[in-house]
Amino acid sequence: MTEIHKEEILSGEEVEILQEIMNIAFGKSAADLADVIDTHVVLNIPFINVMQVTDLPVYIREHVKDYMNISIVEQHFWGCFKGDALLVFSSGSGKELIRILQHGDQADMESDPVEILERETLMEVGNILIGACVGKVAELLRDVVTYTPPLIILERYYEDAISDNHFSPDKTAIVLKTDFSFTDGNVTGLLFLITSNDSIQWLKEALRVFISQYE
Amino acid sequence: MESGHTLHLSDKQEAGGMIKKILIVDDSPIARKMLKSCLPKDQGFEFHEACDGKEGVEKYRELCPDLTFMDLTMPVMTGYEALEEIIKHDKNALIIVVTADVQLKAIKIVLDSGAYMVLRKPLKKEDLQVALLKAQDTLQKVEK
Repeated sequence: MTEIHKEEILSGEEVEILQEIMNIAFGKSAADLADVIDTHVVLNIPFINVMQVTDLPVYIREHVKDYMNISIVEQHFWGCFKGDALLVFSSGSGKELIRILQHGDQADMESDPVEILERETLMEVGNILIGACVGKVAELLRDVVTYTPPLIILERYYEDAISDNHFSPDKTAIVLKTDFSFTDGNVTGLLFLITSNDSIQWLKEALRVFISQYE
Repeated sequence: MESGHTLHLSDKQEAGGMIKKILIVDDSPIARKMLKSCLPKDQGFEFHEACDGKEGVEKYRELCPDLTFMDLTMPVMTGYEALEEIIKHDKNALIIVVTADVQLKAIKIVLDSGAYMVLRKPLKKEDLQVALLKAQDTLQKVEK
Protein backbone atom coordinates (compact mmCIF):
# COMPACT_ATOMS: atom_id res chain seq x y z
CA MET A 1 0.00 0.00 0.00
CA THR A 2 1.37 3.41 -0.97
CA GLU A 3 2.04 5.47 2.11
CA ILE A 4 0.56 8.96 2.08
CA HIS A 5 1.00 11.15 5.09
CA LYS A 6 -2.24 12.92 5.94
CA GLU A 7 -0.26 16.07 6.65
CA GLU A 8 0.77 16.32 2.99
CA ILE A 9 -2.88 16.80 2.04
CA LEU A 10 -4.54 18.15 5.18
CA SER A 11 -2.95 19.67 8.27
CA GLY A 12 -3.48 18.08 11.67
CA GLU A 13 -5.97 20.80 12.55
CA GLU A 14 -7.87 20.34 9.27
CA VAL A 15 -8.18 16.61 9.98
CA GLU A 16 -9.50 17.35 13.47
CA ILE A 17 -12.06 19.84 12.13
CA LEU A 18 -13.20 17.36 9.49
CA GLN A 19 -13.48 14.65 12.14
CA GLU A 20 -15.68 16.89 14.30
CA ILE A 21 -17.82 17.81 11.29
CA MET A 22 -18.25 14.11 10.45
CA ASN A 23 -19.18 13.47 14.09
CA ILE A 24 -21.87 16.15 13.94
CA ALA A 25 -23.11 14.99 10.55
CA PHE A 26 -23.42 11.33 11.47
CA GLY A 27 -25.13 12.28 14.72
CA LYS A 28 -27.71 14.12 12.64
CA SER A 29 -28.23 11.20 10.27
CA ALA A 30 -28.59 8.74 13.17
CA ALA A 31 -31.23 11.01 14.72
CA ASP A 32 -33.08 11.21 11.39
CA LEU A 33 -33.07 7.42 11.13
CA ALA A 34 -34.15 7.01 14.75
CA ASP A 35 -37.16 9.22 13.94
CA VAL A 36 -38.21 6.77 11.25
CA ILE A 37 -37.50 3.48 13.01
CA ASP A 38 -37.84 3.08 16.72
CA THR A 39 -34.26 2.28 17.58
CA HIS A 40 -31.14 3.83 19.03
CA VAL A 41 -28.12 3.99 16.77
CA VAL A 42 -24.90 3.60 18.75
CA LEU A 43 -22.29 5.90 17.25
CA ASN A 44 -18.55 5.50 17.36
CA ILE A 45 -15.73 7.96 16.87
CA PRO A 46 -15.26 8.90 13.21
CA PHE A 47 -11.88 8.50 11.61
CA ILE A 48 -10.26 10.38 8.74
CA ASN A 49 -7.67 8.87 6.45
CA VAL A 50 -5.91 9.97 3.29
CA MET A 51 -4.74 7.44 0.70
CA GLN A 52 -4.32 6.65 -2.97
CA VAL A 53 -7.61 5.62 -4.53
CA THR A 54 -5.96 2.42 -5.70
CA ASP A 55 -5.51 1.46 -2.04
CA LEU A 56 -9.14 2.08 -1.14
CA PRO A 57 -10.49 -1.41 -1.95
CA VAL A 58 -7.88 -3.01 0.31
CA TYR A 59 -8.61 -0.48 3.07
CA ILE A 60 -12.36 -1.02 2.89
CA ARG A 61 -12.04 -4.82 2.71
CA GLU A 62 -9.82 -4.73 5.79
CA HIS A 63 -12.55 -2.94 7.73
CA VAL A 64 -15.43 -5.16 6.62
CA LYS A 65 -13.77 -8.57 6.42
CA ASP A 66 -15.26 -9.74 9.73
CA TYR A 67 -18.74 -9.39 8.24
CA MET A 68 -17.90 -11.96 5.52
CA ASN A 69 -21.02 -11.22 3.46
CA ILE A 70 -21.98 -7.58 3.14
CA SER A 71 -24.62 -5.37 1.57
CA ILE A 72 -23.64 -1.98 0.21
CA VAL A 73 -25.66 1.11 -0.52
CA GLU A 74 -23.67 3.50 -2.67
CA GLN A 75 -24.45 7.05 -3.73
CA HIS A 76 -22.41 9.61 -5.60
CA PHE A 77 -22.76 13.19 -4.49
CA TRP A 78 -21.53 16.35 -6.05
CA GLY A 79 -21.30 20.02 -5.28
CA CYS A 80 -18.05 21.69 -4.29
CA PHE A 81 -17.86 18.74 -1.90
CA LYS A 82 -18.04 15.68 -4.14
CA GLY A 83 -17.35 12.01 -3.99
CA ASP A 84 -18.84 8.63 -3.12
CA ALA A 85 -20.73 7.50 -0.06
CA LEU A 86 -20.50 3.81 0.71
CA LEU A 87 -22.71 2.43 3.44
CA VAL A 88 -21.69 -1.12 4.25
CA PHE A 89 -24.02 -3.34 6.28
CA SER A 90 -23.14 -6.62 7.94
CA SER A 91 -24.72 -9.82 6.66
CA GLY A 92 -28.36 -10.20 7.63
CA SER A 93 -28.83 -6.48 8.35
CA GLY A 94 -31.46 -6.13 5.62
CA LYS A 95 -33.70 -8.82 7.10
CA GLU A 96 -33.11 -7.46 10.59
CA LEU A 97 -34.08 -3.96 9.47
CA ILE A 98 -37.30 -5.31 7.94
CA ARG A 99 -38.09 -6.97 11.26
CA ILE A 100 -37.42 -3.73 13.19
CA LEU A 101 -39.47 -1.65 10.75
CA GLN A 102 -42.38 -4.08 10.96
CA HIS A 103 -42.06 -4.30 14.75
CA GLY A 104 -41.40 -8.04 14.52
CA ASP A 105 -44.54 -8.61 12.42
CA GLN A 106 -43.81 -11.30 9.81
CA ALA A 107 -47.00 -10.84 7.76
CA ASP A 108 -45.71 -8.38 5.16
CA MET A 109 -42.51 -10.32 4.74
CA GLU A 110 -44.53 -13.20 3.40
CA SER A 111 -46.47 -11.13 0.87
CA ASP A 112 -43.41 -9.91 -1.07
CA PRO A 113 -40.23 -11.75 -1.95
CA VAL A 114 -37.83 -11.11 0.92
CA GLU A 115 -35.05 -10.06 -1.43
CA ILE A 116 -37.13 -7.21 -2.85
CA LEU A 117 -38.14 -6.02 0.61
CA GLU A 118 -34.57 -6.28 1.80
CA ARG A 119 -33.29 -4.31 -1.15
CA GLU A 120 -35.92 -1.59 -0.70
CA THR A 121 -35.37 -1.39 3.05
CA LEU A 122 -31.60 -1.09 2.76
CA MET A 123 -31.98 1.52 0.04
CA GLU A 124 -34.37 3.56 2.16
CA VAL A 125 -32.25 3.32 5.31
CA GLY A 126 -29.13 4.02 3.24
CA ASN A 127 -30.75 6.99 1.61
CA ILE A 128 -31.60 8.49 5.02
CA LEU A 129 -28.18 7.87 6.56
CA ILE A 130 -26.17 8.99 3.55
CA GLY A 131 -28.41 11.93 2.66
CA ALA A 132 -28.51 13.34 6.18
CA CYS A 133 -24.80 12.82 6.79
CA VAL A 134 -23.49 14.17 3.48
CA GLY A 135 -26.10 16.93 3.56
CA LYS A 136 -25.00 18.03 7.04
CA VAL A 137 -21.30 17.98 6.08
CA ALA A 138 -22.16 20.12 3.06
CA GLU A 139 -24.36 22.46 5.12
CA LEU A 140 -21.66 23.00 7.74
CA LEU A 141 -19.18 23.73 4.96
CA ARG A 142 -21.69 26.07 3.26
CA ASP A 143 -22.18 23.89 0.21
CA VAL A 144 -25.14 22.20 -1.45
CA VAL A 145 -24.82 18.73 -2.94
CA THR A 146 -26.84 16.67 -5.40
CA TYR A 147 -27.08 12.88 -5.26
CA THR A 148 -27.42 10.06 -7.73
CA PRO A 149 -30.07 7.46 -6.86
CA PRO A 150 -28.69 4.79 -4.51
CA LEU A 151 -27.16 1.66 -5.96
CA ILE A 152 -27.26 -1.54 -3.98
CA ILE A 153 -25.17 -4.67 -3.73
CA LEU A 154 -27.04 -7.26 -1.72
CA GLU A 155 -25.45 -9.96 0.44
CA ARG A 156 -22.23 -10.61 -1.41
CA TYR A 157 -18.88 -11.95 -0.18
CA TYR A 158 -16.87 -8.88 0.85
CA GLU A 159 -13.96 -9.50 -1.53
CA ASP A 160 -16.32 -9.69 -4.49
CA ALA A 161 -18.42 -6.73 -3.37
CA ILE A 162 -15.43 -4.34 -3.28
CA SER A 163 -13.59 -5.00 -6.50
CA ASP A 164 -10.14 -3.61 -7.26
CA ASN A 165 -11.49 -1.36 -10.01
CA HIS A 166 -14.40 0.00 -7.97
CA PHE A 167 -12.92 3.52 -7.94
CA SER A 168 -11.16 5.55 -10.61
CA PRO A 169 -7.45 4.91 -10.06
CA ASP A 170 -5.57 8.16 -10.54
CA LYS A 171 -6.62 10.09 -7.48
CA THR A 172 -5.99 10.68 -3.83
CA ALA A 173 -8.91 10.02 -1.55
CA ILE A 174 -9.91 11.51 1.75
CA VAL A 175 -11.84 8.83 3.57
CA LEU A 176 -14.21 9.68 6.39
CA LYS A 177 -15.19 6.48 8.18
CA THR A 178 -17.59 5.87 11.00
CA ASP A 179 -19.03 2.64 12.34
CA PHE A 180 -22.35 2.12 14.02
CA SER A 181 -24.68 -0.48 15.48
CA PHE A 182 -28.32 -0.60 16.53
CA THR A 183 -29.26 -1.39 20.11
CA ASP A 184 -32.32 -3.33 18.94
CA GLY A 185 -31.41 -6.07 16.55
CA ASN A 186 -28.23 -7.28 15.02
CA VAL A 187 -27.43 -4.45 12.62
CA THR A 188 -23.92 -3.10 12.30
CA GLY A 189 -22.17 -1.21 9.55
CA LEU A 190 -19.73 1.39 8.38
CA LEU A 191 -20.14 4.56 6.42
CA PHE A 192 -17.32 5.69 4.17
CA LEU A 193 -17.37 9.10 2.54
CA ILE A 194 -14.73 9.20 -0.14
CA THR A 195 -13.89 12.55 -1.62
CA SER A 196 -11.19 12.89 -4.23
CA ASN A 197 -8.41 15.45 -4.47
CA ASP A 198 -10.56 17.51 -6.85
CA SER A 199 -12.28 18.80 -3.72
CA ILE A 200 -9.19 19.34 -1.60
CA GLN A 201 -8.48 23.03 -2.24
CA TRP A 202 -12.14 23.89 -1.76
CA LEU A 203 -12.30 21.68 1.33
CA LYS A 204 -9.29 23.34 2.97
CA GLU A 205 -10.82 26.79 2.47
CA ALA A 206 -14.26 25.62 3.67
CA LEU A 207 -12.69 24.15 6.82
CA ARG A 208 -10.87 27.43 7.46
CA VAL A 209 -14.13 29.39 7.12
CA PHE A 210 -15.96 26.92 9.39
CA ILE A 211 -13.45 27.15 12.24
CA SER A 212 -13.07 30.92 11.89
CA GLN A 213 -16.57 31.27 13.41
CA TYR A 214 -15.07 29.94 16.63
CA GLU A 215 -11.93 32.04 16.82
CA MET B 1 -31.40 23.43 22.96
CA GLU B 2 -34.15 25.53 21.45
CA SER B 3 -34.06 29.11 22.64
CA GLY B 4 -36.60 31.76 21.75
CA HIS B 5 -34.57 34.67 23.06
CA THR B 6 -31.03 35.49 24.01
CA LEU B 7 -29.97 36.61 27.45
CA HIS B 8 -26.65 38.25 28.02
CA LEU B 9 -24.48 37.57 31.01
CA SER B 10 -24.21 41.26 31.79
CA ASP B 11 -27.97 41.29 32.54
CA LYS B 12 -27.44 38.79 35.32
CA GLN B 13 -24.08 39.70 36.74
CA GLU B 14 -25.50 40.71 40.09
CA ALA B 15 -27.33 37.44 40.57
CA GLY B 16 -24.78 35.09 39.03
CA GLY B 17 -21.05 35.04 38.68
CA MET B 18 -20.54 31.93 40.74
CA ILE B 19 -19.39 29.61 38.01
CA LYS B 20 -15.64 29.88 37.92
CA LYS B 21 -14.19 26.44 37.42
CA ILE B 22 -15.26 24.73 34.19
CA LEU B 23 -14.31 21.22 33.09
CA ILE B 24 -14.63 20.37 29.39
CA VAL B 25 -14.63 16.64 28.58
CA ASP B 26 -14.33 15.93 24.85
CA ASP B 27 -11.91 13.81 22.87
CA SER B 28 -11.78 16.37 20.06
CA PRO B 29 -9.42 19.30 20.67
CA ILE B 30 -11.35 21.23 18.03
CA ALA B 31 -14.63 20.63 19.87
CA ARG B 32 -13.05 21.86 23.12
CA LYS B 33 -11.74 24.94 21.33
CA MET B 34 -15.17 25.59 19.74
CA LEU B 35 -16.86 25.33 23.12
CA LYS B 36 -14.43 27.67 24.86
CA SER B 37 -14.80 30.22 22.07
CA CYS B 38 -18.57 30.32 22.67
CA LEU B 39 -18.16 31.18 26.35
CA PRO B 40 -17.88 34.83 27.45
CA LYS B 41 -14.30 36.00 27.71
CA ASP B 42 -14.80 38.48 30.55
CA GLN B 43 -16.02 36.15 33.28
CA GLY B 44 -12.63 34.94 34.44
CA PHE B 45 -13.45 31.28 33.98
CA GLU B 46 -10.82 28.76 34.95
CA PHE B 47 -10.82 26.05 32.27
CA HIS B 48 -9.77 22.45 32.69
CA GLU B 49 -9.92 19.84 29.95
CA ALA B 50 -10.12 16.07 29.67
CA CYS B 51 -9.92 14.05 26.48
CA ASP B 52 -11.97 11.00 27.44
CA GLY B 53 -14.58 9.97 29.98
CA LYS B 54 -12.11 8.32 32.34
CA GLU B 55 -9.91 11.40 32.52
CA GLY B 56 -13.07 13.45 32.93
CA VAL B 57 -14.14 11.46 35.99
CA GLU B 58 -10.63 11.69 37.46
CA LYS B 59 -10.44 15.45 36.92
CA TYR B 60 -13.94 15.93 38.32
CA ARG B 61 -12.93 14.13 41.54
CA GLU B 62 -9.72 16.15 41.75
CA LEU B 63 -11.08 19.60 40.85
CA CYS B 64 -14.79 19.64 41.83
CA PRO B 65 -15.66 22.01 38.97
CA ASP B 66 -18.71 24.28 39.19
CA LEU B 67 -19.81 23.19 35.74
CA THR B 68 -18.87 20.31 33.46
CA PHE B 69 -19.41 20.04 29.71
CA MET B 70 -19.48 16.42 28.57
CA ASP B 71 -19.36 14.87 25.09
CA LEU B 72 -20.89 11.39 24.70
CA THR B 73 -18.93 9.63 21.97
CA MET B 74 -15.44 9.26 23.37
CA PRO B 75 -12.73 6.60 23.59
CA VAL B 76 -11.70 4.73 26.77
CA MET B 77 -14.88 5.68 28.64
CA THR B 78 -17.97 7.11 26.97
CA GLY B 79 -19.75 10.22 28.17
CA TYR B 80 -22.70 8.06 29.26
CA GLU B 81 -20.45 6.10 31.62
CA ALA B 82 -18.55 9.16 32.83
CA LEU B 83 -21.82 10.96 33.58
CA GLU B 84 -23.02 8.06 35.72
CA GLU B 85 -19.70 7.88 37.57
CA ILE B 86 -19.69 11.59 38.33
CA ILE B 87 -23.32 11.67 39.47
CA LYS B 88 -22.60 8.66 41.70
CA HIS B 89 -19.74 10.68 43.24
CA ASP B 90 -21.63 14.00 43.42
CA LYS B 91 -25.39 13.98 42.94
CA ASN B 92 -25.41 17.79 42.63
CA ALA B 93 -22.90 17.84 39.77
CA LEU B 94 -23.91 20.29 37.07
CA ILE B 95 -23.19 18.50 33.82
CA ILE B 96 -24.20 19.88 30.45
CA VAL B 97 -23.97 17.23 27.76
CA VAL B 98 -22.73 18.68 24.47
CA THR B 99 -23.22 16.12 21.78
CA ALA B 100 -23.72 15.41 18.11
CA ASP B 101 -25.84 12.41 19.11
CA VAL B 102 -29.22 14.12 19.11
CA GLN B 103 -31.38 11.00 19.04
CA LEU B 104 -34.30 11.30 21.46
CA LYS B 105 -33.30 8.05 23.15
CA ALA B 106 -29.77 9.33 23.73
CA ILE B 107 -31.11 12.57 25.22
CA LYS B 108 -33.53 10.66 27.48
CA ILE B 109 -30.75 8.35 28.69
CA VAL B 110 -28.46 11.20 29.73
CA LEU B 111 -31.22 13.27 31.35
CA ASP B 112 -32.38 10.18 33.27
CA SER B 113 -28.76 9.67 34.35
CA GLY B 114 -28.66 13.14 35.90
CA ALA B 115 -27.39 15.44 33.17
CA TYR B 116 -28.47 19.02 33.79
CA MET B 117 -29.08 19.84 30.15
CA VAL B 118 -28.27 18.66 26.64
CA LEU B 119 -26.89 20.99 23.98
CA ARG B 120 -26.44 19.88 20.40
CA LYS B 121 -23.34 20.31 18.32
CA PRO B 122 -22.41 22.52 16.60
CA LEU B 123 -22.86 24.88 19.51
CA LYS B 124 -24.49 28.26 19.14
CA LYS B 125 -23.14 31.04 21.32
CA GLU B 126 -26.62 32.19 22.34
CA ASP B 127 -27.68 28.67 23.41
CA LEU B 128 -24.55 28.30 25.47
CA GLN B 129 -25.03 31.67 27.14
CA VAL B 130 -28.62 30.85 28.10
CA ALA B 131 -27.45 27.48 29.43
CA LEU B 132 -24.75 29.19 31.45
CA LEU B 133 -27.22 31.59 33.02
CA LYS B 134 -29.55 28.76 33.99
CA ALA B 135 -26.65 26.82 35.45
CA GLN B 136 -25.56 29.87 37.43
CA ASP B 137 -29.06 30.30 38.87
CA THR B 138 -29.23 26.62 39.75
CA LEU B 139 -25.83 26.70 41.39
CA GLN B 140 -26.83 29.74 43.43
CA LYS B 141 -29.99 27.98 44.66
CA VAL B 142 -28.03 24.86 45.60
CA GLU B 143 -25.52 26.95 47.57
CA LYS B 144 -28.29 28.83 49.39
